[in-house]
Amino acid sequence: MMKPANPSHRFLRGLLVALFWLGVWQASSMLVGKPVLFASPLDTLRALWQMLPTAGFWQSVAGSLSRVALGFTLALLLGMATGMLAFRFSVLRALLAPLLTLVKTVPVASFIILILVWFGSGELTVIVSLLIVFPQIFFATVNGLESADRELLEMSRVFRVFRRRIAWQVYRPALMPYLLSACASGLGMSWKAGIAAEVIGTPLHSIGEQMYLAKVYLATSELFAWTLTVIVLSLLFEKTVLSLLRRVGR
Amino acid sequence: MEIRIQNLSHSFGDKVIFRNDSLTLQDGGIYGLTAPSGRGKTTLLRILMGLIVPDSGTVTAGVRYSTVFQTDRLLPGVTPVSQLLFVRGGKAEREAACAFLSSLLPADSLHQPVEELSGGMQRRVAIARSLWAESDCILMDEPFTGLDADTLHQTAEFILANRQGRTLLLSTHQKELLQAYPIQWLEL
Repeated sequence: MMKPANPSHRFLRGLLVALFWLGVWQASSMLVGKPVLFASPLDTLRALWQMLPTAGFWQSVAGSLSRVALGFTLALLLGMATGMLAFRFSVLRALLAPLLTLVKTVPVASFIILILVWFGSGELTVIVSLLIVFPQIFFATVNGLESADRELLEMSRVFRVFRRRIAWQVYRPALMPYLLSACASGLGMSWKAGIAAEVIGTPLHSIGEQMYLAKVYLATSELFAWTLTVIVLSLLFEKTVLSLLRRVGR
Repeated sequence: MEIRIQNLSHSFGDKVIFRNDSLTLQDGGIYGLTAPSGRGKTTLLRILMGLIVPDSGTVTAGVRYSTVFQTDRLLPGVTPVSQLLFVRGGKAEREAACAFLSSLLPADSLHQPVEELSGGMQRRVAIARSLWAESDCILMDEPFTGLDADTLHQTAEFILANRQGRTLLLSTHQKELLQAYPIQWLEL
């Protein structure tokens, strides 16, 4: 039988695992022996350390973060609103479902290029994260509302409970798990797609622009440092949004 | 309000449940419905509540029902007090709901999520909810399932004390346990 690991034990194990892979990373970069191709963890940290005090770093972080956040928030609000309407009016659902399924399968790169052609690079990140997350939220909302317990709905109907109360106490608890899992996956996707769009469209003051420049100048350690930055931002963003949603959903 | 069922016919596939049956429930009457299982007790209650549309026949319209379903149908993760407030009242009635429940359930159970309560306690919450709700007629589908003899009598007293003159129709297969109560028995 497996013993439940106590927290400090688990922390220590996690630390050792992290150290192991950092070691593997360091060793392989030394094996390759060309920092221009494969930066070591130390190179990466050094590059990050040099970037941190510059205004350009924070401008790029603020630019990308605000655009991804705006795109995601719009997707969440519009996706929920449209999902609720589609749940209520089946015509709307019949119309939207195939379109959004299509949107989900179109390669992100196609969207990025189309948006560049239509709107230019200014709003690129916002629209790309919006487009990627919107269908996820839409389907989660429709399916979540649909999963509401039929027996509880019937009970509410017999007791003539107010609609608003049914929405809050029967539909909302059914919706929340669907919405949370869609958000958890959507948050990561909005970052990845948003940054990919920025690398292609290179809007001013964006992480993607900096990554593109790092590529042009073969500054691999900076590319790694930016990647690390995106990972940290994405994790922080995900934790913040999910805990906010959980608080609202309780 | 008198409730009339007239010329009711209903069948599920080949199985005929009602054939031109009629029944009148006097306003304020207490009725017990007994029949072997599968004879349509639940179906009759569901037809009254408008949850099943019968093949033919008419039922008095405009009656406000409250009910105990065959299963408890309580909101998950919600306390007994809030289960009551879901069907009637708001924050202002919290105290009253507490007092209402306290004669049927131990005080410490009133503020726990219902999942933490025993099956019998959950059943009593469902019963209390049907009495607490605003209605003209209370329908109870096998309300005493899962209750031991003592609790059954305590609960039956609670029902009679709190029905406030409303018509009551309950279905049961434990007729012999309820002989002490002024119930008018209907056989299906």
